[in-house]
Amino acid sequence: MKEFMTGNHAVAQAVKLCRTPLIAAYPITPQTPIYEKLSEWEATGVLKGIMMRTESEHSAMASCIAASLTGVRTFTATSSQGLALMHEMLHFAAGCRTPVVMANVNRIIAAPWGFWADHLDSLSQRDTGWIQFYCENGQEAMDSVIQAYKISEQVYLPAMVNLEAFLVSHFMEPVEIPDQDAVDHFLPPLDLPHKFDVEKPGFLMTVVSSELYRKYRHMAQVSMDSVKDVAVRVDREFKDVFGRGYGIVEPIAMEDAEVVIVTAGSITSTARLAIRSLREQGHSVGLLKIRLFRPFPNEALQQVLAGKKKIAVIDRNNSMGSGGIFCQELKAALVHSEDRPYIYNYIAGVGGTDVNPEVIQRIALDAMERSEPMDQPMWIMEE
Amino acid sequence: MIEIKFRGRGGQGAVVASEILGRAFFLEGKYPQSFSLFGSERRGAPVFGFLRVDDQPILLKCQIKHPDQVVLFDLSLADEKEISQELKPDGTILINTNREIGFFEGWRKFKIGLIHASAIAREVGLGDTFNMAMLGAYARLTNLIKMETLTEAIRSMAPSKVEKNIEAAEEAYKQTKIYEAKEPNPQ
Repeated sequence: MKEFMTGNHAVAQAVKLCRTPLIAAYPITPQTPIYEKLSEWEATGVLKGIMMRTESEHSAMASCIAASLTGVRTFTATSSQGLALMHEMLHFAAGCRTPVVMANVNRIIAAPWGFWADHLDSLSQRDTGWIQFYCENGQEAMDSVIQAYKISEQVYLPAMVNLEAFLVSHFMEPVEIPDQDAVDHFLPPLDLPHKFDVEKPGFLMTVVSSELYRKYRHMAQVSMDSVKDVAVRVDREFKDVFGRGYGIVEPIAMEDAEVVIVTAGSITSTARLAIRSLREQGHSVGLLKIRLFRPFPNEALQQVLAGKKKIAVIDRNNSMGSGGIFCQELKAALVHSEDRPYIYNYIAGVGGTDVNPEVIQRIALDAMERSEPMDQPMWIMEE
Repeated sequence: MIEIKFRGRGGQGAVVASEILGRAFFLEGKYPQSFSLFGSERRGAPVFGFLRVDDQPILLKCQIKHPDQVVLFDLSLADEKEISQELKPDGTILINTNREIGFFEGWRKFKIGLIHASAIAREVGLGDTFNMAMLGAYARLTNLIKMETLTEAIRSMAPSKVEKNIEAAEEAYKQTKIYEAKEPNPQ
């Protein structure tokens, strides 16, 4: 069934469809409509789960971890400062190998204060051991939440589905809602091999020796590496059932591309349009969307970018003192590439500033004109 | 594709109006996209709602700089120059006003719709809530959406006083005054 809804409500729908029994959250703009919708459904009995209204995001994540350890599916949603406050618990969620799923609405990190789209909040959590997806619209956010459960529950690692403030979270668009039966079949009830119950008390997070710590960390790393294959497989299964698939990366019009624009999130959607008109103008420009950021899909990127000479990475974030984070990661992934492409970094859309097709075309043409490599990121400012 | 900008003040329901009109287009099988510029949404502050409509899915995830249509909830929100720079040359503007067309001489290069929506809302007992009356006037002015579809959208989405809102929309539909664009005078 198709419905006209925001990205936030699409996420809430996904949580309902996944029959998540435990939701723990704290409201924060622009995520609050997810929280409100789930609360409303809890009050009307539509949602079968429990909605825990915790006193902070830190407690919300602690609650999700504890509930997950008892073997139930869990969910939380947050944004920006809320995600920052969860930071400590994010490490615990991954370290305890809990398949917690979270939606994060990407909003700028203060200061200064604001509510706008920016990827820095979740990218700042890149080392916490969470799987990370970046979505370009509400439909993908909904589908990614469903996929995230299936992936997380196979690898015992938590997953974060990222959707940008307003451009996805508050954009009302037609969204296809999958059938409950089909989701039930795709995502059977959770059955973890180890779970706590009152009949079988246990203890976790004990102090370990250096050797044991290293062993656990390595095991988690091996599982995280496996996500690249698991995510591809789950996406294929999803496509077979629901007719929509996204891949972990998506190459678009790449065959003869002289310049490849690399994007994540909602800028990808606008860029699809921008490269069409660039091609109509006779410019051979391709587009590459990075959907899975953790684990970073090195092999997939090396494969689709083989033979490319120029790459223009658009980052809606900036790591102060370094540059765009997607670009850093991509450079590291391609460092041994025989083609030694020039990789240019454009900081665009930071703070929710507008990235329209003209901005993307400017970036493509700028990269096209350059004949020398450039280490410094280039900031796209007002025209 | 049509791009519509709703200009209102916080509390006037311009954003809700853009969402309900979006839903009406959705019900007619179109691909709408409704969104707002958020952050300073408080009573009285200028608020913008945006709506794109097309026959196919819309890929744009950016602002509307030059709308085809402007729905102006409050005349104090825009001066002639600002609207003229913003609207596309063959644009349409709908204004909530009790003034006659003579007052809008500077905008006559656009197609204009005049409706005293706030008065209609008060008459049907809605107080200061005139956003659905604006949508009724929009349906009449543009002919892009059927009144019955709009009614269905209002019924499913209006936060309260559904029947009165529908009545206001229908009354505004009847009362809207339409003025086709005039060729600018040669200088």
